[in-house]
Amino acid sequence: MAEITKDKLLWIYERMRLIREFEDRAAELFAAGQIPGFVHLYAGEEAIAVGVCAWLTDRDFITSTHRGHGHCIAKGVDVKAMMAELYGKKTGACKGKGGSMHIADVDKGMLGANGIVGAGGPLACGAGLTAKIKGTDQVTACFFGDGAAEQGTMHESMNLASIWKLPVIFVCENNGYAQTTPSRYHCAAEDIADRATAYNMPGFSVDGTDVFAVYEAAGEAIARARRGEGPTLIECKAFRYYGHFQGDNLSYYTEEEKAEQKARDPINKFIQRVLDRNLLTKAELAEIDARAKKAIDEAVKFAEQSPYPVLDEILTDVYVSY
Amino acid sequence: MSCVGIIANPASGKDIRRLVAHASVFDNNEKVNILQRVLLALDAIGVEQVSIMPDYYSIGERALDGLRLSSLRAEILTMPMTSTDKDSTTAARLLCEMDAASIIVLGGDGTNRVVAKGCGDVPIVPISTGTNNVFPVMVESTVAGLAAGLIALDAVDVEAVTYRAKCLEVCIDGKLADIALIDVVTSSDLWIGTRALWDPSHILEVVLARAEPGSIGLSSVGSCLQALGVRDGHGMYLAFGPGGIQVLAPIGPGLVRRVSIREHRLVPVGGEVTLSSDPYTIALDGERYIEVYGTRTITVRLTRNGPRVVDIARCMEEATRCGVFQRLGNLEGD
Amino acid sequence: MATRTITYREAINEAIRLEMRRDPTVILMGEDVAGGASTHLEEKGEEAWGGDLGVTRGLVQEFGRSRVRDTPISESAFIGAAVGAASTGLRPIAELMFVDFFGVCMDQIFNQGGKMRYMFGGKAKVPVVIRTLYGAGFRAAAQHSAVLYSVFTHMPGLKVVTPSTPYNAKGLLTAAIRDDDPVIYFEHLVLLDTSGPVPEESYVVPLGKAEIARPGKDVTVVAIGRMRLFAMQAAEELAKEGIDVEVVDPQTLSPLDESTILESVKKTHRLVVVDEDNPRCSVANDIISLAAQQALAYLDAAPQAVTAPHTPVPFSPPLEDGYIPGPAKIATAVKAVVA
Ligand SMILES: Cc1ncc(C[n+]2csc(CCOP(=O)(O)OP(=O)(O)O)c2C)c(N)n1
Ligand SMILES: [Mg+2]
Repeated sequence: MAEITKDKLLWIYERMRLIREFEDRAAELFAAGQIPGFVHLYAGEEAIAVGVCAWLTDRDFITSTHRGHGHCIAKGVDVKAMMAELYGKKTGACKGKGGSMHIADVDKGMLGANGIVGAGGPLACGAGLTAKIKGTDQVTACFFGDGAAEQGTMHESMNLASIWKLPVIFVCENNGYAQTTPSRYHCAAEDIADRATAYNMPGFSVDGTDVFAVYEAAGEAIARARRGEGPTLIECKAFRYYGHFQGDNLSYYTEEEKAEQKARDPINKFIQRVLDRNLLTKAELAEIDARAKKAIDEAVKFAEQSPYPVLDEILTDVYVSY
Repeated sequence: MSCVGIIANPASGKDIRRLVAHASVFDNNEKVNILQRVLLALDAIGVEQVSIMPDYYSIGERALDGLRLSSLRAEILTMPMTSTDKDSTTAARLLCEMDAASIIVLGGDGTNRVVAKGCGDVPIVPISTGTNNVFPVMVESTVAGLAAGLIALDAVDVEAVTYRAKCLEVCIDGKLADIALIDVVTSSDLWIGTRALWDPSHILEVVLARAEPGSIGLSSVGSCLQALGVRDGHGMYLAFGPGGIQVLAPIGPGLVRRVSIREHRLVPVGGEVTLSSDPYTIALDGERYIEVYGTRTITVRLTRNGPRVVDIARCMEEATRCGVFQRLGNLEGD
Repeated sequence: MATRTITYREAINEAIRLEMRRDPTVILMGEDVAGGASTHLEEKGEEAWGGDLGVTRGLVQEFGRSRVRDTPISESAFIGAAVGAASTGLRPIAELMFVDFFGVCMDQIFNQGGKMRYMFGGKAKVPVVIRTLYGAGFRAAAQHSAVLYSVFTHMPGLKVVTPSTPYNAKGLLTAAIRDDDPVIYFEHLVLLDTSGPVPEESYVVPLGKAEIARPGKDVTVVAIGRMRLFAMQAAEELAKEGIDVEVVDPQTLSPLDESTILESVKKTHRLVVVDEDNPRCSVANDIISLAAQQALAYLDAAPQAVTAPHTPVPFSPPLEDGYIPGPAKIATAVKAVVA
């Protein structure tokens, strides 16, 4: 595996911790009735977004899913603007018009969480096409779930990206379930990576709770895409702590499954390994923890204190001109 | 009662080597097909019972679904499932306790390695699911099924058609940490990561149980110096790095690389090597498997305590020589 | 049999249950309509959610997983399969979780389901029901809140139903299941928890028949789906000011009960249409056009449409609240036409 700098290790931890803190707080705030609508939380899957985005810059793109907070944070979207968006405030990343499921920041290359399962694939192909036609070395990472893998758009996108050799990496977040339906039921091959052959691209599975595995895998796939050699499918096997959405009854998980999730926690695994290797110190980690907590405290405060948009805002941003 | 065990690993053949080494993909449905052909062969030759390891893809259940068998009884083993490689060891142990006559293994080097930890003296019939392996052989599974059946029916002399594999025992600070069947490699990779090894510059030291020209992976590096087969009484130690010889070797599918070997020597069965490097990870049979923390004493001992392996070609020859197939062909059909 | 008070959600569930009991060819499919397929719940004969909002709860326990089928997130495949099954002898009820998702399966709905009979010269029938959630008010944001029934109403070969009360929810769904044509059945998110009197036994509210929800003489307010409730509220308020509003609920948008609407307009001489959908090419404007073409001489004032603005549904609570046409806007429009 490529050498990893201390700065990168710190960045990885900081982003994972920030995601966890954001999601845990969003869960509380939602339960307390502070956040309207639905929230689909990314806790448990931090290693995937962070391991992939560690190789991307603001010029690169990602497409996301309904479970998009983690992708946003990994791609560098401001958590204040994110939290304000969850509240529907004027200062939100989308001026309060999008909410959790449509959170986006195009300046950061984050092309939006998405309410339509499987809709990110075609968009990622488009972003890849832009890079290819303009001759840049930008890469697009398309995050999608195991459930999304059954959507026609994903099959079509992987095929298109392959025949056009687009600089796109397809990152399947296989957390074992689409809502309450397990992948062993909805997927005829169970391992989504198996499908890559049919699209004529490399495909493989990694442990999506091991950030180093995801980091290494994404590094190879992104390098290949930047070299112009085309797309790759990476299946990251993981789990989601809060179930489908905050408030899910989780009746479909068994007790063993819940216990196994705890044992696979990506952040704990990271901590233990960097400490054992003396790469980071407890103090350094604690400082990041404190910073993350503070950042989220501030984000919540910012969101709470921000005004709602005024009613006239309803008519703006529909068209550039009309 | 004649009983054959089956261990099919759903996770084999789908790691990052698909990207870094153009390795072949082995999808789960193909494993189901392979298993169906095994079952049909076992049924046809008259084996009474087959016991199959459960797995997350339900390869066994899917293979049995709709398959017409005449007298073969099939069961899925009742055992706790972790969906990790531990399952294969557990299943092998169970099959050994059940006195299975042979175990068919579908997977790569890694799968056989974990089966070896539990199978005791039961002969294994390793079918390769991929191009990246040394231990299992590329063989049509119908034939592998027949070979396993011949053993189960006692139709051939087991001693004559099997060999005892060599084994590499890895000890860390004097404690047995794990085993390998082909190679033990220390690496400067910080983490297990995606498990595969593909960059020779990260490799520090290598201990080989065998080194056959014509095989793929790190054991091919040794084979560029001296051929060591399954029955040879030696293995080999290699230290990577400049200052010695260079060879060109197929260290992975699609990866023919120039490799510098600082030092190498033969290791006799029963012999032990103490490694001198300070690695971060140890790879067993081609996969980074152990993360090492701090300075440790790592020793590797070469033994002949590996599993008993069926030489499929030899088994079929022996059966033919003894007229087994003619005899079976003339049995009153039903 | 007795009539009791149940919710819109329960009324829908009951209609499906009774029709599944009555007719073994009725099946139900959709994402998580039972939920938990192949998990420990299935072994126990249980469900996980019984639909995202619990509308189909308990059905798998009674009818089993062969007739109550969880599907992958493959709307083209399973909505199309419902169309195919309908044309070959079943009466499938397929659930398109939110109408916003029609974009991923529209071909199967309008090119296959909607045109099959016509293209085949009448030699096929497609008795499929596509149930779908719609409507703003749930803070579900732009991709889970749209109304869109106008799109389906525009398409020949499809029937479109918009129940507004538990009573008509049950009766219209029963009629839709028994109908031999493809019916798109719109369930309003916010109405699910509303309740009202519903008879226990099976009954039909015929497709293509409007209901006079409140008779009145001064102005006709045609109100669709949830808008019926707002129109009734507005009517109560306006009654205090001496304005007698007649509220007409079309119940079915395709076929549309033109005569009930026209009769009412001819009686009151004034028309307001309340429609939660976006205004361009909308049902509201279609009904106004109907009145203009066939009852212009009776109209004493220009008809008014009260609709959502021509924007996607915003997330922010104050914006969403402002987006939805409510009783106040209706009252203003009524006053404008009676002035
Ligand atoms: C086209 C479409 N169909 C259905 C849904 C409803 N839905 C939202 S998320 C989801 C499950 C997605 O599962 P998966 O892709 O595995 O992502 P995960 O939630 O596990 O992260 C479903 C069915 C939707 N939003 N869009
Ligand atoms: Mg999932």
